[in-house]
Amino acid sequence: MTDMLALSQERTQLFHDLIDGKIPKKVPISGSFAHEFAIQYAGKDLTEAQWDTDGLEPIFEKTCQDFYSDLLPVSAFRLPSFYKILGSRNFVMGSSGFIQHPEVEGLALEDYDAFIASPFDCIVERVLPKLYSKLDTDSTQKSMVMAKAFKAYTDEMGNLGRIYGNLIQKFGYGFVNFYSGFCEAPFDIISDQLRGFKNISIDVRRVPDKVEAAAEAATPLMIKMGTPPNPSPYNATFIPLHMAPYLRGKDFERLYWPSFKKTVEGLKANGMRSFLFVENDWMRYIDYLAELPEGTIMLFEYGDPKLVKEKLGKKHIISGFYPVSLLKTGTKQQCIDKAKELIDVLAPGGGYYFGFDKVIITLDSANVENTKAVLDYVAENANY
Amino acid sequence: MEDLKKMEGKIIDLVEQLDEDGVIRLANQALDAGIQPLRLLELVDEGMNRVGKLYESKEYFIADLIMAGLIFKDILKLEKMTAQFERSYSERIGTILIGTVKGDIHDIGKEIFRSMAEANGFQVIDIGVDVPKELFVSKVLENKPDILGLSGVLTNTIEAMRGVVEAITVAGLRDTVRIIAGGNHLTEDVCRFIGADSYANDASSGVKRCRGWICSAGGKGVRADD
Repeated sequence: MTDMLALSQERTQLFHDLIDGKIPKKVPISGSFAHEFAIQYAGKDLTEAQWDTDGLEPIFEKTCQDFYSDLLPVSAFRLPSFYKILGSRNFVMGSSGFIQHPEVEGLALEDYDAFIASPFDCIVERVLPKLYSKLDTDSTQKSMVMAKAFKAYTDEMGNLGRIYGNLIQKFGYGFVNFYSGFCEAPFDIISDQLRGFKNISIDVRRVPDKVEAAAEAATPLMIKMGTPPNPSPYNATFIPLHMAPYLRGKDFERLYWPSFKKTVEGLKANGMRSFLFVENDWMRYIDYLAELPEGTIMLFEYGDPKLVKEKLGKKHIISGFYPVSLLKTGTKQQCIDKAKELIDVLAPGGGYYFGFDKVIITLDSANVENTKAVLDYVAENANY
Repeated sequence: MEDLKKMEGKIIDLVEQLDEDGVIRLANQALDAGIQPLRLLELVDEGMNRVGKLYESKEYFIADLIMAGLIFKDILKLEKMTAQFERSYSERIGTILIGTVKGDIHDIGKEIFRSMAEANGFQVIDIGVDVPKELFVSKVLENKPDILGLSGVLTNTIEAMRGVVEAITVAGLRDTVRIIAGGNHLTEDVCRFIGADSYANDASSGVKRCRGWICSAGGKGVRADD
């Protein structure tokens, strides 16, 4: 057995123990860098390099070399090729080359009923042509554009899959994948992709019955989307959460929570655990989170680590809370002290792995030396 | 008279409850009964203050602020209000120039801030998203705003915001304008790093800070009730 394979198995064991509710040998670490960061860190131009996924392996390798992580630390979600073919309005490139999600309206107010009656048909027939300008055409053209975009998408994902596999072997990362599926909370997909932030905020007041019915209608679709072909108890489906902190408690209780809970439970029934990015501050909903199936993974952005440990620590797997903003502005010592402080609160008894409060998206989002120092500190010192 | 008094109280309550239809219906009745447009605006303003308080006490959230902004706009659009509003436009309490900094194309935070600032009596000049620092400088020169607002969602906007503040300083304009940075990822330390005068994690506190600045600067047409 090669050294790297042994390392892989050791790291896999850390995460298996974590997931099986045992205390691992040390606090597992998952560094998280976006491909945009990796490209800039390798000294390449984002506006060019992200078009050529064939060439990303040596680029990702540099980040793998320099930043400690027990799982593959680089991942790519948004690539320009297929969005360009589609004439995308919901994922658009900024002047620096970074692809972003602007405020869009994919579903008109008067189309709620069509969505509730048949979400999939409504998305194909009414939503996609609004979100993707190149699909706003006759059905022959539309089929050609869709086929081209899908080909580009599967090519890109194929390339990335191959690169990920090579890097996992080369650097001895654990064989655990928390991104093996993807979906959104039903209320979030209706907000982010269909109605937009502003519209949904108004809909919640003006047409709550329709919002409730739409979230309900989207639920089976989200469960289907989030279930990968080969579910595994050691992998997870990634669900980035968005809108709940912006809602009133009673709107959340009625319009957000029931369909979201059903989604997580539905994934569980299909053999998948959920990996939630708990964006912003969810502390007023912490008792709801406690209701989710045992072993749900939750990476927190803001909030109270002590409260989270106390309320969720025995049932769920916790990560996050480490402020990327501190990596940008703090001294090395301040950054290390923060890691120590969080580990002291979150690590005792297991059920925790070290992670930043969000993905590091670009090179100028964090100070590179601070980031390395924190990851190295945790790798060397957080033993059980 | 008693009826009008009752109606006034009810308008404030309905704004506070964000009952859009109710506010519009009653506002129209009140205007028909002879209420002065400015008086109506005061009532809506009082309701908005209560919404702001409910937001601060965490009973209302951003979705509710968006709804409140919408109700305010609905009221201003009422036929009997438009004439009044156009006249008073020149009496705005101050000017804020806003834009989302380079590299970031998000506009929702800026939009919410804009409508709340307008509802609070500011004139707002919005120069768009993904704005390079050079454009911020030339627009500040051109418009001479009291306040410059830098918006951003992505974490890397910290660097871009710092760049704008530097460019404003180099252009010799730093003493002419207050700078506020807006974004959920900002902290006290980040604000210092950027070199802004203040920062806000949400539109409501941002507008409050801007009002505070204008009021402490001695007015410029601040309404008597402030």
